[in-house]
Amino acid sequence: MPVTKVLTAGIGEANLRDISVYKQRGGYKQLERAMRTMTPEQVLEICDKSGLRGRGGAGFPTGKKWSFLPRNDNPRYLVCNCDEAEPGTFKDHQLLEEAPHLVLEGILLGAYGINCHHAYIYIRGEFKRGYQIFMETVEQARKAGYLGKNVFGTGYDLEITVHRGAGAYICGEETALLNSLEGKRGEPRLKPPFPAVAGLYGMPTVVNNVETLAYLVPILENGAEWFASVGTERSKGYKIVSISGHVQKPGNYEVPLGTPVRELVEIAGGLRPGRKLMAIQPGGGSSACIFEEHLDLPYDYESMAKAGSMLGSAAFCVMDDTTDFVKAAFNLVRFFAHESCGQCTPCREGGHWLETVLHRFVEGRGLQSDLDMLHKVSHEITGINLCALGDSIEPFLASVLKRFPEQFEARVLKETALPA
Amino acid sequence: MNFPVLLEKLRPQCEAIIAQYEQPRSALLPMIHLFQEHEGYASPEAMRAVAEMLQLSLAVVESTVSFYTLFFRKPVGKYVLQVCRGLACQLNGAEDIHAYFRERLGIGHLQTTADGIFSYEEVECLAACDRATCMQVNLEFVYDLTPQMIDQMLEAMRTGTFEIPPMAQTQEPGPTWIVRQDTQVSHGGKSIGAVDQPNPNNAGGLDKDGVIMLDRIITQEQRFRGRTKERLANVEPSIAAIVDQNGSAH
Ligand SMILES: Cc1cc2nc3c(=O)[nH]c(=O)nc-3n(C[C@H](O)[C@H](O)[C@H](O)COP(=O)(O)O)c2cc1C
Ligand code: SF4
Ligand code: FES
Repeated sequence: MPVTKVLTAGIGEANLRDISVYKQRGGYKQLERAMRTMTPEQVLEICDKSGLRGRGGAGFPTGKKWSFLPRNDNPRYLVCNCDEAEPGTFKDHQLLEEAPHLVLEGILLGAYGINCHHAYIYIRGEFKRGYQIFMETVEQARKAGYLGKNVFGTGYDLEITVHRGAGAYICGEETALLNSLEGKRGEPRLKPPFPAVAGLYGMPTVVNNVETLAYLVPILENGAEWFASVGTERSKGYKIVSISGHVQKPGNYEVPLGTPVRELVEIAGGLRPGRKLMAIQPGGGSSACIFEEHLDLPYDYESMAKAGSMLGSAAFCVMDDTTDFVKAAFNLVRFFAHESCGQCTPCREGGHWLETVLHRFVEGRGLQSDLDMLHKVSHEITGINLCALGDSIEPFLASVLKRFPEQFEARVLKETALPA
Repeated sequence: MNFPVLLEKLRPQCEAIIAQYEQPRSALLPMIHLFQEHEGYASPEAMRAVAEMLQLSLAVVESTVSFYTLFFRKPVGKYVLQVCRGLACQLNGAEDIHAYFRERLGIGHLQTTADGIFSYEEVECLAACDRATCMQVNLEFVYDLTPQMIDQMLEAMRTGTFEIPPMAQTQEPGPTWIVRQDTQVSHGGKSIGAVDQPNPNNAGGLDKDGVIMLDRIITQEQRFRGRTKERLANVEPSIAAIVDQNGSAH
């Protein structure tokens, strides 16, 4: 089975929080090599050639994102997105706590690659322990001379600020994150301009996920071809998949992109004995479900999109025949309604009222007219919002409503008059 | 410790935080975190002090603080129990765990016990779904919950022997720490025109169950000129092309 250990190597075996352990395993060598012997452009080129795509959810090619920055020496920023809160995703949390030096080296490499002198990491407020671990990590690295003024005697200054959020899923959206980092309410900005043009403090900014940046280290070590030779045509390299739900051994598993969906279920210990697979949510709370007939698809960006879903943050939630899909749909809609920042009417009102209506179903008081309405409304609140949260309310609901209509119909009140 | 004394004690730390950022306002969240650690909540005095140090209006600070669910705007219990209600936890029995907590504590979501020891909240996915069902106590994780564990934990908290330290508690907590949920301004039972609105066609047109509001979202002519992707294509064609190739650009 294709479980590989690249970023996850050593986790659970060695104390990677200790800088001397990390260094023994080759840590900070790539940063030193890059800063001593390579130009930022060469780092960017390797990143681009590797085919690395953003691991935060959108899958945008990382090298391309970096190349949108204006080519001049004006201030620019790199922000590492460690706000991980997409339902079902728990990879960044583990990397932060168990491999913090790898995360830091990745951030510093990324910062050098875009020629920036001040990087930020935005850590989810709930990760208080992870925040403390990372503060300690930064101190260790500073003492060793890997950041600060004149790193490795190259004349390059590189600073990092560790910032902690305070409980808001929406701050994972990159422009909301920037607002939050500026000390404002975490409300997404209207795009364009994109952060590459006007981001943090109005300056060109790259926002990258923790896992994306961490992969820079092995890519620099083994070369762009090594990474690009794994995976499928347009989904290159490895990916940490957070497998949860009705499997026997939930956890983070690192695999080549394109590993068949069926194998992912098996890697995580398979279903409990005697249970039948009903659905898999393959890309976090925002994604539509895939089903039995998709088990042989390769798990990559294109195949998931073709199946009507997405790879997203690679949170892979398995549901067996004990699942109440009405409750599951209510659960996720409630999540998005709760986390909506409230700027856009379709997202704010749509999410809230969908939650209300679905709650009726959970209680067995659904209306016949609700059923048609659910089909229509879920489509109509997408595509017209400021950010992708508004578009995330619908996919799971729509997919299970279509697949398991009987579960919803069974919750319709027999007397279908509107309550006064 | 009264507030002016605390403020003088924390002032150097605040100044160090401000110095970390290119613009002082970025220090707002970390400073509120700092005061909350010492006072157990984001007190009005703390918000005023932060406003003064950052040269912002109190309204700006309050509005920002109120956006974030981890800032408590009223005092809370010694142990803030935040139990996950995310989907992966739900699939693994979170509802039973919630019911058990509610029964043992005698309170519900967003409430504090009368003795001021426990505050209870059901929270969204905590990014530890492989250890479902899980929770945080004063932001430290507790994994793989069972009723027996919960009993032992609550008992240890009552007797003050629990391994996770209690929150600072400078004030008696009330029944909840929510002043007013932001979202209630716009919808829910409290929005203008929604409070038992007798005529759903008036004032926002919400009826008690939301049917009419949803109907309107469906049938109303769309206000935006086109959907996000098309709007993008008009303004920045180069990016829109890449978006089409590779999925969304956010
Ligand atoms: C509602 C919402 C929440 C998001 N949450 C996260 C998150 O927690 N972590 C993350 O890396 N990206 C998140 N994203 C995606 C970011 O906006 C952004 O695309 C990403 O951080 C870019 O990094 P990448 O190119 O390395 O993937 C979120 C997007 C949306 C719309
Ligand atoms: S879509 Fe929702 S979360 Fe995103 S900006 Fe609009 S209201 Fe806020
Ligand atoms: S669903 Fe509970 S931690 Fe993710």
